[in-house]
Amino acid sequence: MKKERIIIQAFLLVLIAFGIHPAWAHVSFQCPCLDDPAAQNVVKANGNIECNIGARNIACKHISAGDGFALMADRTAAEPSELYIFGFHDVTYLYPPNGVYATKAEADAAVQGDGLLAAETSAPTINASETQEFYLTLSTVPMVMRPDLFDSHTVHFHGFPNAATVFDGEPMVTFGVNQGASLTYYYNLAGRGGTYLYHCHFEATEHMQMGMLGNLFIRVAKDTGVAPNRFAYNDTDNSTRFDVDFPVSVISFDPRFHDADQSIQPLPFADMLDTYPLFNGRGYPDTINPNFLPVPQQKIDERAARGFTTDPVTHSSQKLPSKITATAGQKILIRLSSVATVDLYTISAGGLPMQIVGKDAVIFRGRGAAGGLPLYQTVNSVNIGGGESYDLIIDTAGIAAGTYFLYSTNLNELTNEFQEFGGMMTEIVIQ
Amino acid sequence: MNTLMKRKSLLIGVVLLLVLSVSPVAGAYDIPGVTGPAFSLTTGKGHITTGDGNSVYMWMYGVQGGTAQYPGPTLIVNQGATVTINLTNTLPVPVSLVVDGIAVTATAVSGTALPGVLTKEVPADNGATTVQYQFTASQPGTYLYHSGTNPPLQVEMGLLGVIIVRPSGFGPAPNRTAYGDADSAYIHEKLFLLTDMDIRVHDAVQKGNYTNIDFTDYRDVYWFINGRTLPDTLSAAGAPWLKYQPYDALVLMNPGQTILYRMVNASRDPHPMHTHGNHHHVIGRQARFLSAGAGADLSNNAFTTVVYPGDTVDAIMTWTGAGIGWDIVGHGDDVDNPPLGFSTGGAPGPEDIDNNNNGVFDTCAAQTLEPWEDPADHCKLFPLKLPGAQDLTFGQFYGGSPFLGALGALPPGKGGFNPWGGFFFMQHSHNEKELTNNNIFPGGMATFLVVIAPSTLIVE
Repeated sequence: MKKERIIIQAFLLVLIAFGIHPAWAHVSFQCPCLDDPAAQNVVKANGNIECNIGARNIACKHISAGDGFALMADRTAAEPSELYIFGFHDVTYLYPPNGVYATKAEADAAVQGDGLLAAETSAPTINASETQEFYLTLSTVPMVMRPDLFDSHTVHFHGFPNAATVFDGEPMVTFGVNQGASLTYYYNLAGRGGTYLYHCHFEATEHMQMGMLGNLFIRVAKDTGVAPNRFAYNDTDNSTRFDVDFPVSVISFDPRFHDADQSIQPLPFADMLDTYPLFNGRGYPDTINPNFLPVPQQKIDERAARGFTTDPVTHSSQKLPSKITATAGQKILIRLSSVATVDLYTISAGGLPMQIVGKDAVIFRGRGAAGGLPLYQTVNSVNIGGGESYDLIIDTAGIAAGTYFLYSTNLNELTNEFQEFGGMMTEIVIQ
Repeated sequence: MNTLMKRKSLLIGVVLLLVLSVSPVAGAYDIPGVTGPAFSLTTGKGHITTGDGNSVYMWMYGVQGGTAQYPGPTLIVNQGATVTINLTNTLPVPVSLVVDGIAVTATAVSGTALPGVLTKEVPADNGATTVQYQFTASQPGTYLYHSGTNPPLQVEMGLLGVIIVRPSGFGPAPNRTAYGDADSAYIHEKLFLLTDMDIRVHDAVQKGNYTNIDFTDYRDVYWFINGRTLPDTLSAAGAPWLKYQPYDALVLMNPGQTILYRMVNASRDPHPMHTHGNHHHVIGRQARFLSAGAGADLSNNAFTTVVYPGDTVDAIMTWTGAGIGWDIVGHGDDVDNPPLGFSTGGAPGPEDIDNNNNGVFDTCAAQTLEPWEDPADHCKLFPLKLPGAQDLTFGQFYGGSPFLGALGALPPGKGGFNPWGGFFFMQHSHNEKELTNNNIFPGGMATFLVVIAPSTLIVE
């Protein structure tokens, strides 16, 4: 098997040597904020490039898609516990304003190299407002560790109401983006505020198990962005008001599947057994680490072998902590979504009651209408299946300061593979 | 992934789409089934086909004198009716019938029934005994029926089906309702009966090795909608190559129409059912209208609804493309030459939209809105440029144009399964593991909703 891989790699080297590879690359970031001379107030905000063009509010984001590695929480000096993954990587930071490069053309040219082996899990969080039109560009980079795979990738904006197939990202009904190419998705977000999720839909069972999953939430028009005037939905009675919000993505990995993928083995779909239950791509205690996790050594080595340096910050594979902090009296909004591919999970906040105020990006009231009968429930735990989202508010008024926990009440999931007491758990710290 | 295998399996999918247009019945469609209130069922055995080409031994219900089928016949009755189901048995084991959520009485009308545990049973006597199961259909909604005899084995083997109770005053199409209330009105109706399968059980039963059956290490490898796996879910209802699997799961509607999904879970695991395209509106659960008295005032919208084992969910879905930010029909665009290759496309010509047949493109201003169309988006041009064909891997259900009802050029061998220029939206279990057929992707518990341009007649 290794011999075959060497032959394939040699074949690709020949292609590259004859200059075929560069001809495939069509990185193209369509962003009116950078393309339209009429764009005003162009800024980097919320992980996007944002601007106004006349009365239009625009947000743009550019992500790459490829393979890479992630660190599991049971790593030791002797056993680094690096898992082979597929994932997205945020390359918006390369672009002006205040980017690594002064011009869009220079940044475009750097995307393929920056994105190589740069997969992140969970994927870069998408955070936009329903007052905006959102231009999301996906650039697919080669799969370095699997040069035999000619898989394309997509972005599926999961739950987008009244979607057009061309921007739905389901490749059987439209298309996937080939390696070396770019596609820009357009989403008019008006009237679509709420908590969603996104993932790659190309060969979805494989690409999702491999890690192409992320948080996606759209702030509602009523949300001013400044506490105390922050709202999960455009309610009429301020019942979805919150002070601080945290996206929490339920993810789970089966290391045997990831190893089989890396070593070009038949993929064990029916035998998937997720033994790394994670929040935002990390197992406890990594979940409470406020920093980006270190870059996996294999990523550094494999990038170096191809002539690319690796940045210890921007090339972290796991950038999103899930430690939840608030001051007593504040209302916490947890934007909970699940992209697990095998199991349903029950998530509890221990001693803290949670109120369900939204489900699947809709206010949790009768007929999904702001004026409908409240279906809000105060719960100790919520059961969430793959592809669902919940907006949960924890009111900390009268709650004693201290450390609480958000965790899976399927207690066998509080593990990092064989290591006990880890997994799908994080802290809620009330100061 | 093995894309060769993927292509092969999807090729079959297309054949079915073509076959679909052979049995035209215009207008709204209902879930096919047998209408009551008196039913005569029997049991039978046979091999069903899975999407990867496997065939699996089954025990099934069927209409007396007809063909056994997986799932069993959908039994359709009216609210208030006294329903009788006469059951005989040709299997080597006793069988019976229970309905989740309804108290059913059982009496032998000929021969001698076995006492059973959950209900009286029909012995393995090759049809000699008839047991009559009787109940009153007091509540409209969706119900699951299945064998009450050794159900872990017999339901796995295929002895299950759905009962639909129509509300009092159920009107002719298109004035359908699920619960008699205007908030449960719909035009089309589709069943999603969800099942799973461990093929080792079926092999053991076929060989008579009952002692080899072990449910403690149950390992399901197939996941079905209406007794079929993707891509067979898309094949025409009654397709002759699916002799024992008469029910399809392809969903068709025109924009602005409504479809009622009746989702039923008869498998071991919960299934989070995700609807691409739009939210669905959950109006009923377990045959109860979600109402506190003023219509569907306890309903909610969802893009994924978990259907638990034994659960039934009634949900209504529509699609208009409202608020998409561009004209989804492409009233002002060059719809047959979409902006591929990062070009802005050409100028629209008479082949695009020429309603008055004068050989000149009707300017957007001269065109009237579709009744379902969002006026705010009318005439707004496509917002960006698409990459060239060499940059994309096209799926079989793409018509070559981003606009509804339009077709565009595709590379040779690409597309082809979408002769209407419709919008295909996947409807599937979001336990992504279940999108496989015995370790082959794609497959399993998935089907498509096709939103078809209004000019195209829906045939079912």
